[in-house]
Amino acid sequence: MQVLSRSALGWLVSGVARIRASVHTKLLFAFLIITLLFITMAVVSLLMLVNATQQTRLLDQAHERVSWAQQSQYALARQMHFTASALLSKDEAAIERILRENNRFNETLAKLEAAEGAEQRLLIDQIRSSQDDAMGVMADMANAIRDGKIGDITGELMQREERLDDQIATRMGLLVQAEQSRMARLRAGVDAANRRSLILTTAFAVSAVLLAWLCGFVISWSFILPVRQAEVFLGDVAAGNFGRNIEVPNRDEFGALADQMNHMSHELQRFDEAQHRAAADLTRLNEQLALASKAKSEFLANMSHELRTPMNAILGFSEMMLDGLYGEVPAEFKEPLSDVQLNGRQLLRLINDVLDLSKIEAGRMELALDEYSVSDVVNTVRTSLRSIAAEKGLQFTAHVPDDLPVAYGDSGRLTQCLMNLAGNALKFTRKGHVDIAVELAADQLIYRVSDTGIGIAREELTNVFGAFRQVDTTITREFGGTGLGLSIAKKFVEMLGGRIWAESEVGKGSTFSFSVPLRVSEPKP
Amino acid sequence: MSEPTVLYVEDNEYNRKIVRQLLSRSPYRLIEAVDGETGIELAQQQLPDLILMDVQLPRMSGLDAMQVLKADTRTSHIPIIVITSYALSGDREKAMKAGASGYLAKPYSPRELLALIRQYLPMP
Repeated sequence: MQVLSRSALGWLVSGVARIRASVHTKLLFAFLIITLLFITMAVVSLLMLVNATQQTRLLDQAHERVSWAQQSQYALARQMHFTASALLSKDEAAIERILRENNRFNETLAKLEAAEGAEQRLLIDQIRSSQDDAMGVMADMANAIRDGKIGDITGELMQREERLDDQIATRMGLLVQAEQSRMARLRAGVDAANRRSLILTTAFAVSAVLLAWLCGFVISWSFILPVRQAEVFLGDVAAGNFGRNIEVPNRDEFGALADQMNHMSHELQRFDEAQHRAAADLTRLNEQLALASKAKSEFLANMSHELRTPMNAILGFSEMMLDGLYGEVPAEFKEPLSDVQLNGRQLLRLINDVLDLSKIEAGRMELALDEYSVSDVVNTVRTSLRSIAAEKGLQFTAHVPDDLPVAYGDSGRLTQCLMNLAGNALKFTRKGHVDIAVELAADQLIYRVSDTGIGIAREELTNVFGAFRQVDTTITREFGGTGLGLSIAKKFVEMLGGRIWAESEVGKGSTFSFSVPLRVSEPKP
Repeated sequence: MSEPTVLYVEDNEYNRKIVRQLLSRSPYRLIEAVDGETGIELAQQQLPDLILMDVQLPRMSGLDAMQVLKADTRTSHIPIIVITSYALSGDREKAMKAGASGYLAKPYSPRELLALIRQYLPMP
C-alpha cells in the first residue's frame, strides 16, 4: 500500500481520488473510456480491412495487366509465326490468321492502354506504330504474294518485317517487364501494408487492454485505499484511540465518509473526556458521600442516644410518680401526670420512627435474620395493643393457621410492621372490629389487617405509604400518629423482599396487607 | 451483708437517680459507677450480685467493660443486664454474644426494670 502510494501509479490513484465527482460518475466515466477504446479498435480494424480489400483489387488489376501484356506478347509471337509460315507456304489463308492475331493483339493492347498510366502509354503508342508499320509491310507482302512477286521484294519486305517484329517484341518485352515489376512493387507494398496493419492492430489491442487495466486499477485503488485506511482507523477507534484523524485524498463519497468518521472520532473523544471527567467527579463525590454517610450514621447513633437518655428520665420519673413511689399522688395531679406520660410516649414514638426512617434512607438499617414463629409475632402485637382495643370497645381478633412452618426473617421488624398496621387500624376504627390474619401462599407469608374503620378514598390509596402522608390534617388531630408508620412498614417489607398494599372503601373499612418470603434470603453484601 | 447488691454503671445522673429512687424502697443495695473503668473496679472490689451496664459510656464502652468482667474469674459469674439506647436490630444479639444475661432498651419503664432485677435476684 505504501509502495503504491509512492509510485507514479499512486500519484495517478490519488489524482483520481482527488477528482471532485461521485463514485458513480467516476465508474461511469471509466467504463465509458474503456467502451470508447474498444469502439475505436473496432473502427481501426474495419478501416484496415477496407484498405486491404482495396490493395487486393489493385493487385488483381496489376495481375490482369500482366496477363494482358503476356497475351499481347503471345499474340505477337503467333502473328510472327503465321507471317513466317505465310511466307513459306505463300498461302493467303495465313494472312487471315495473321490479321486475326493482329486484331487480338490490338484488343489486348487497347485494354492495357485504357488501364495504364502515361509512361506505359508512350511505350504502347510506339508498339502500336511499329505494329502498324509491321502490318503495312504485311499488307505489302500479302499483295506481293497475291501478285506472285516473290523473290527480291519479299526478301526486302521480310527483312523490314523482321526488324519491325524485333522492335515490337523488344518493346513488348519491356512492357511485360514494366508490368511485372509494377506488380512486384505493388505486392511488396501490400505485404508491407499488411504487416503494418497487423502491428498496428496488435499494438492497438495491447494498448487498449493495458489502458483498460490501468483504468480499472487506478479507479478501484482510489476506492480500495480509503476503505483500507478506514478499516485501520475504525480498528483504532474500536480500540479506544479517539480523537485521531483519517486523511484520504478522495473528494467523493469516501471523502465525505472520512469527514464523518473524523467528526465521529472527535465527538467520541469529547464524550470520552467528558465521561472521564464525570467519572472522576463521581469518584470524588462518592468519597465525599461516603464520608457524609459515615458522619450521618454517627450522628444518628449519637442522636439516638442523646434523645433517648432524657426521654428515659422523663418517662421514668413520671411513671414512678404515678406508681406512687414518692407517696400518694393527689387526684388533681394524676391527669396532668398521665398527659406528660402520654405525650412523652408519643414523642418517643416519633423519635423512633424518624430515626428508623433516617437509618433506612442512609442504608444503615441492618436486618437481624433468624428463625421465628409467626404466631409469636402476632401474639406480641395482640398483647401490646389489646388494652387499646379494649378501651375503644373494639373486637380485636387474630387468625393464624396452626400448621405454619417455622419462618426465617427479622421478627423484630416484622412485629414493628404488623404493630404499625394494627395500631393504625385500631386508631382509625370507632366501632366494629380489627382482625389480623396470616396465610401461606406458595413460599410467601401474607399478613393481613382488616378493620371496619373510616376507610380511605381510592385516589388517596396510593399515597398512604409515603412519609407524613395522613389523609388530611384533621385526621392527625383526631387520631394522632406520626404519619411515618406505613412508610417505615413499606421500607421494612421491601428490605425483607416483600411488598405491601392496601384496599379500602370509604366508610366501610380498610384492609392492609403485606407479603414476605417464608424464608427471607440473606441480603447480598 | 444479707442485702443483694446491684451495680449500676451509667454516666447520666438522672438515670442513676431513677434507679436509686426505684431501689430505695426495695431490699436491694445499689452501688453506682459513672464509667466503664470505675465500674470494673467497683465490681472487682465489691463483687455485686447483679450488674446493670449501660452501653454508651465515656472512656470505655459497656460492652468492653463487660468483656473484662467476663474474663475475670472473680466476676465472670455475675449476671449482667445490658442497657442500650441504640435499640438497633442486632444490638440484643451483640450483647448476648458478649455474655450478657439480659437486655433492656432505653427508655425503659422503671416497673419493667424492677421486674427484671427481681428475676435475677429473688426477694430475700
